[in-house]
Amino acid sequence: MSNQTLEATVDPELVNKWIEEIGSGVPAAVPLLQAIQGEYGYLPRDAMDLIIANSDINASQLFGVATFYAQFRMRPVGRHLVKVCHGTACHVRGADRLNTSLNHILNITDEEEDTASNGSYTVEDVACVGCCSIAPALVIDDDIIGNLSGADAQRVLKKHAKGCKEDLPGDTSKKKKAAQENSNEEARS
Amino acid sequence: MSDSKLEIIVGEGTCGRASGSTEIMGLFKKNAPDATIRTVGCVGMCHAEVMVEVIDGDGNSHMYGNVDKKGVTKILKFHRGEDEKPEDMLLSATDDPELEGGQYLTKQTRLALRNVGTIDPTDMEQYKARGGYSAIEKIIQTGMTPEDVIEQVKISGIRGRGGAGFPTATKWTFARGAEGDKKYLICNGDEGDPGAFMDRSLLEGDPHNILEGMLIAAYAIGASGGYAYIRAEYPLAVKNFDMAIQDATAAGYLGDNILGSNFCFDLKIKQGAGAFVCGEETALIASVEGERGMPRIRPPFPAIKGLFGKPTIINNVETLSNLPWIIDNGGAAYQAIGTEDSRGTKVFALAGTIKRGGLVEIPMGMTLHEMLYDIGGGSSTDKPLKAVQLGGPSGGCVPASLFDTKIEYASINATGAIMGSGGIVVMDEKSCMVDLAKFFLDFTQIESCGKCTFCRIGTLRMKEILTKICDGEGTMEDIDTLEELAEGVKQASLCGLGQTAPNPVLTTLKYFREEYEAHVKEQRCPAGVCKGLISHTIINEGCNGCSICERYCPVDCITGEKKKGETWVIDQDVCINCGMCVEVCNSDCILVE
Ligand SMILES: Cc1cc2nc3c(=O)[nH]c(=O)nc-3n(C[C@H](O)[C@H](O)[C@H](O)COP(=O)(O)O)c2cc1C
Ligand code: FES
Repeated sequence: MSNQTLEATVDPELVNKWIEEIGSGVPAAVPLLQAIQGEYGYLPRDAMDLIIANSDINASQLFGVATFYAQFRMRPVGRHLVKVCHGTACHVRGADRLNTSLNHILNITDEEEDTASNGSYTVEDVACVGCCSIAPALVIDDDIIGNLSGADAQRVLKKHAKGCKEDLPGDTSKKKKAAQENSNEEARS
Repeated sequence: MSDSKLEIIVGEGTCGRASGSTEIMGLFKKNAPDATIRTVGCVGMCHAEVMVEVIDGDGNSHMYGNVDKKGVTKILKFHRGEDEKPEDMLLSATDDPELEGGQYLTKQTRLALRNVGTIDPTDMEQYKARGGYSAIEKIIQTGMTPEDVIEQVKISGIRGRGGAGFPTATKWTFARGAEGDKKYLICNGDEGDPGAFMDRSLLEGDPHNILEGMLIAAYAIGASGGYAYIRAEYPLAVKNFDMAIQDATAAGYLGDNILGSNFCFDLKIKQGAGAFVCGEETALIASVEGERGMPRIRPPFPAIKGLFGKPTIINNVETLSNLPWIIDNGGAAYQAIGTEDSRGTKVFALAGTIKRGGLVEIPMGMTLHEMLYDIGGGSSTDKPLKAVQLGGPSGGCVPASLFDTKIEYASINATGAIMGSGGIVVMDEKSCMVDLAKFFLDFTQIESCGKCTFCRIGTLRMKEILTKICDGEGTMEDIDTLEELAEGVKQASLCGLGQTAPNPVLTTLKYFREEYEAHVKEQRCPAGVCKGLISHTIINEGCNGCSICERYCPVDCITGEKKKGETWVIDQDVCINCGMCVEVCNSDCILVE
């Protein structure tokens, strides 16, 4: 599955409702973008165009804000989002390894890519999530999980994937496990 | 004993939840429906989450840590008199002062944190039961003038806890005197230091205290409008603070004619959107106004011309959290704590290779050593501590040889580091100081808003040089250039971000120059961290051929025959030195050098 299919279909009524509720002036730019990203996981072009058309915020202001803040994402996002903390505490306790192992099990090999080919998960780096004493930590959808090794990160993702019936493109452990059990059996007999 | 006499308190801050507190809470509710079960914010002992406190029928409190599903049963059985004391989980108990966890708390002086981990942050009545809102009541009911309030804060000697350490009363006096039909007070909850969580815990664990602090500050400067700027990464803090605003409004502490006076204060939350520079006050103002969060040239200072052009005071969350205590107990009581240079207490977020990491509040003047060893319990690994990093990207490293340094503004500045906002990352010998400097430069270079050239280009050049050194391609001249650049960026940058960005480099160069030189002269990373300078090899004598490393290797560069330790090899041409194999190896037989 390509990322194309992850493009969200924007509901104009919803966007207009936000403009009405949150405001249509420049101070509303960040909260409006936050509302859009909260709904669609990223900032779909169509939603941005609606804001530009129906509020007092012009294109350069809106895109200026959207590209300035790290929170905003212009590319479509997988069905689930994994945020790997790269704050200081997580960095010194091996956060890089969480990315390595997650990318491995999701079979994300291209450095430019952050979403698994089946659209299941997107892996993003973020600054501190505020749980530094249980570093390294990651956030899956809304749950923070800490004290992880690289191997733990894979376990956590597998459990999550099982819960929401997602496939992990890089998960070959089932096959290998079967093979392992076979060889154990042979050894015993 | 019947459960009805038991009070069970579960820590449900972000750390608690991250460790599974919600599930534990559910189990207590299910298995002990007769007990009184409450939830509180972060208790501070984040290393031991999930934390559960049980107060028995005799009023004795027992604090349990690392409570899992089985632990729930054990704890209940013990308190019902059916089983032994679960010693392994028991951290402290009021009837057993000898326990280690007790020291964790007794060495602290908790003013800012006085309610955090004690009350249910979503219940305003619990805040009030512990003296909450008495400070604003005192101000209004006894007719304290704004000048009286400023005077008490001046006597307290409190300095801003957001990093710069500017005396709070002085700043307020400017804004108080400024002309303006409308003034603003902003609570800075952006907590940009990646490796710190004091403000998160305060906002989550005792939101009414911050809100009351804002009321006091607003009253003092004459502000009628307020914003709480909170990081987007802190959803629970936003939620709890939002609830506090609603409850306080309903109770007449917020809005028009507060407590029947003519003091009006309207408060809104603004969520940050992930830009470090937005913690800087002028950038924060730009951000609230809806623009890109770029710092503005000062003067004019925000106290004179700030948000929407009006006089504005920005105070850090922790600064605000001390104000109700100061008004309740008087400025002199606060002044009595700490040192001449630094009055009162400071909250720190202890993280890294420390045994008892978490949130601690200490009287100023305690040494780093006392905080790290007496409270923190020392190294969590088998390696001794090497250094601490204070103040995040704007701060610096203090080596173990200087752990006798007192925690106060002047003494810490003398080391080249800064007090900062309170993030402390503790490191053992397995941390590479050059890598750490590179980590921070990576961060500041990305976060530099790009407005001034020195910061934009200077941090980029510094980052390039550090990358070269970490890759083993640096020269001795590079180290000198790095030092020159660092001084230049420090002098010529417009805002605090650029002015302080070189600190991590300068302090590591000052105390750990030999590590830089090892990278350059010997092509060696003494800590075994820098990927370009290390290699992984299998010690075949120790290997039992279990093949687990093969399974976890992301680049399939490990091969061998099952159960034949002598056959296993790592293909050096393919290996990316990610360290997965070291982590999963059961027999410790992968050599990193
Ligand atoms: C780059 C940069 C980032 C900052 N980040 C924060 C922050 O996250 N939180 C904070 O309270 N102050 C931060 N500050 C300091 C603020 O500019 C300001 O001094 C502080 O909020 C004032 O409050 P205080 O006087 O109560 O400390 C930052 C400063 C700079 C230069
Ligand atoms: S550094 Fe990762 S949670 Fe703070």
